[in-house]
Amino acid sequence: MQLLTHKSTLVGLVALLLAVILLPMFAGALWVKVLTSAAIFALAASGVSLVYAQLGLINLAQIALIGIGGWIALRLNYGTALPVTLIVLGSGILTGLIGALFALPALRMRGLYLALVTLMVAALFQIMFNAFQFPNGGEGFWGVAQKSAASIRRPAFAETDEAYFRYVLIALGLSFALIGLHKAGRPGRAWAMTRQSEANAMAAGINVTFYKLWAFALSGLLAGIAGALLAGALGQLDARSFLAGEGILLFALAVVGGAFSWLGAVFAGLLYKLLPALFNDWGLSADIALIIFGGALMHAIMTAPHGIAGQILGAFNKEKSDD
Amino acid sequence: MKTTLLFAATLMAGAAFMAEPAKADGHAPVCGLNTGTAATGDPIKVGGINGNAPPGDFSGGTDGAAAYFDCVNANGGVNGRPIEYIVENDQWNPELAGQVATKLVKDENVVALVGNGSVVEMAVNAPLYASEDVMVMASGCAISECYESSHIVSTNQGPLPSGIGALKFAIEELGATNAACIGFNIPNNGGWACDWMNEYMESKGLQGTSILMDPTAVDLNSVYLQALAEGVDTILLMLPAGPAIGLLKVAEEQGGRDLFKWVSPTPLYEPGVGEILGEYWSENLYINIELNEFDSEGADNQNWAKVVEAYGQDGDRQDTFSQSGYISAKFFVDALLKLDPATIDRPTVTKAIQGIVGAESDLLCKPYYVGEADRHMPNHAGRMVVFKDGGFELVRDCYDIDTNYLDPIRAQEAALGLK
Repeated sequence: MQLLTHKSTLVGLVALLLAVILLPMFAGALWVKVLTSAAIFALAASGVSLVYAQLGLINLAQIALIGIGGWIALRLNYGTALPVTLIVLGSGILTGLIGALFALPALRMRGLYLALVTLMVAALFQIMFNAFQFPNGGEGFWGVAQKSAASIRRPAFAETDEAYFRYVLIALGLSFALIGLHKAGRPGRAWAMTRQSEANAMAAGINVTFYKLWAFALSGLLAGIAGALLAGALGQLDARSFLAGEGILLFALAVVGGAFSWLGAVFAGLLYKLLPALFNDWGLSADIALIIFGGALMHAIMTAPHGIAGQILGAFNKEKSDD
Repeated sequence: MKTTLLFAATLMAGAAFMAEPAKADGHAPVCGLNTGTAATGDPIKVGGINGNAPPGDFSGGTDGAAAYFDCVNANGGVNGRPIEYIVENDQWNPELAGQVATKLVKDENVVALVGNGSVVEMAVNAPLYASEDVMVMASGCAISECYESSHIVSTNQGPLPSGIGALKFAIEELGATNAACIGFNIPNNGGWACDWMNEYMESKGLQGTSILMDPTAVDLNSVYLQALAEGVDTILLMLPAGPAIGLLKVAEEQGGRDLFKWVSPTPLYEPGVGEILGEYWSENLYINIELNEFDSEGADNQNWAKVVEAYGQDGDRQDTFSQSGYISAKFFVDALLKLDPATIDRPTVTKAIQGIVGAESDLLCKPYYVGEADRHMPNHAGRMVVFKDGGFELVRDCYDIDTNYLDPIRAQEAALGLK
């Protein structure tokens, strides 16, 4: 198992290196933009997957947390002269705290009830984003002026779309590493025991509430980083991009991609952003992707609980054992 | 529920009833060099982006431009070179808007964009257009970035001048003293335009109020009740046609026609609107129009009608944005015809567009211009029509507006020798 994890890490590192070096060189400007979005949402999906795979909890509010991270990043962008990377980290940490705060009252619930609560949280933020809008360089706490938006900074070394794509990929790689470290360490063991039996975990001296909150905070951190990166990628944020329904879609795609490995989050990001863009580029309706997502979700639920990533890794392992 | 269904029905009906342009008089349209021979040279790539998804269809501009470019291509092109017009739909999605603009500007390497109509793409892409030094001759703008960017110039007025034009008429002819501006809660759209509405009312010693609603969850009943509660005497419908018609239907259900003076910027100026609104609103709804009437006798309007009839596609919108797209495309082609066809590339085209000054058309009240500036708003004088017997009747011909917003624009016009 450890060897597999080790190999998986190596494969991930090589894939990341190749992507960072080669993709911006060969992908056209359109696809660099699309893949940047895909990488950002893969980062957010990895948070959803973490909570689902480690604790069996369903979080449908990830899209709202991405919005919160974006909101904080914009506020810091306009209100401070902090370096962009610090803004991204700050947005992630604050969003993680907010995610944990909202998770606190919901921790006694599981399954459908928890999912419904998180959906309601997403709906709450959808309304708040529409009511208060995203900062655009205005005065006051909300920072909204009824005018054109002021510019959003990118890191000085990542001003171009290609460089920014590399920046996002590195952030994605570091986030996967952070998740990997958690899974391999004490939190991972605590989550595994909690998932099997909360009573046993408590009997073994594990602070179940703390580790559950920690998982939600980590997931929120990843969503917040994704939101801040999205603000830099688009140059603005719009309330219409953070509808509660998108949270359901992101969770569904995390399951379709495979919630149990980093590769699944990558598939989730690609399905979420690359597939509609492909249809759009072919002159077809991007909504066709939704039909495919529905079919893929049914397939995943019935035959592939570990998602596309699970099937690929499973086939790879089988081939190895056959040898 | 009833209102929701009604609203949905009006939206569908709005989509079904396209505006009828003036009937072509039988002569062939006049386009570009008008040689009657198809251009066969190396194509000139031109882009266009529209926003066509709920809650609004802004594709008229690219439809009008596409028809004119097809006509030009069939008539000698740009000194022998045809225009390859690539149109993308941003679907009101900022992310998609950024992607399609990047594709056009960086991958397709278009020399310019013409006919753009959207509520999101200009905000996302204005920095890209400036950094890549590519000009956008837009036709269906509705947000502040469209009028406050160095590389975007729109032929339509947008909500700010058209809305203030409607209010000016309401004050002077209908006795409006306290107006509610109803728009979407989008800072650079409804918020921006309604803020300037209020500033305009204040500058006249009158009262103005903004009622902004969530574009993703439009509740027209509560918006109407809010307007009632505000105690205003005038309602300015700063909305796309669909929601504006929905609100009028809510007012009709509640017998609210005579409680307010009803004025609107251009979006409600569509012949199909008459069949949806019916007799109830006859002579009670005043609309500011940004370009000329659909059935006006001017040469450009007549030619627009012929071009869309001969070269338009089934389902094309034939509305104000279409007129705007047509005339934007015509100004664009006129500018390119002055260039050596062998030297046409992005830098020469950008310079040629920026060199347009004093282009005249009967579709516009005043000459069109671009120039090199950090903002552009060449069209800010319009006309006023009243909805009457299912159609529209002109009640005030060309008039300009007076708002502080235009101070930098007037300075540009003075510098260019335009009044």
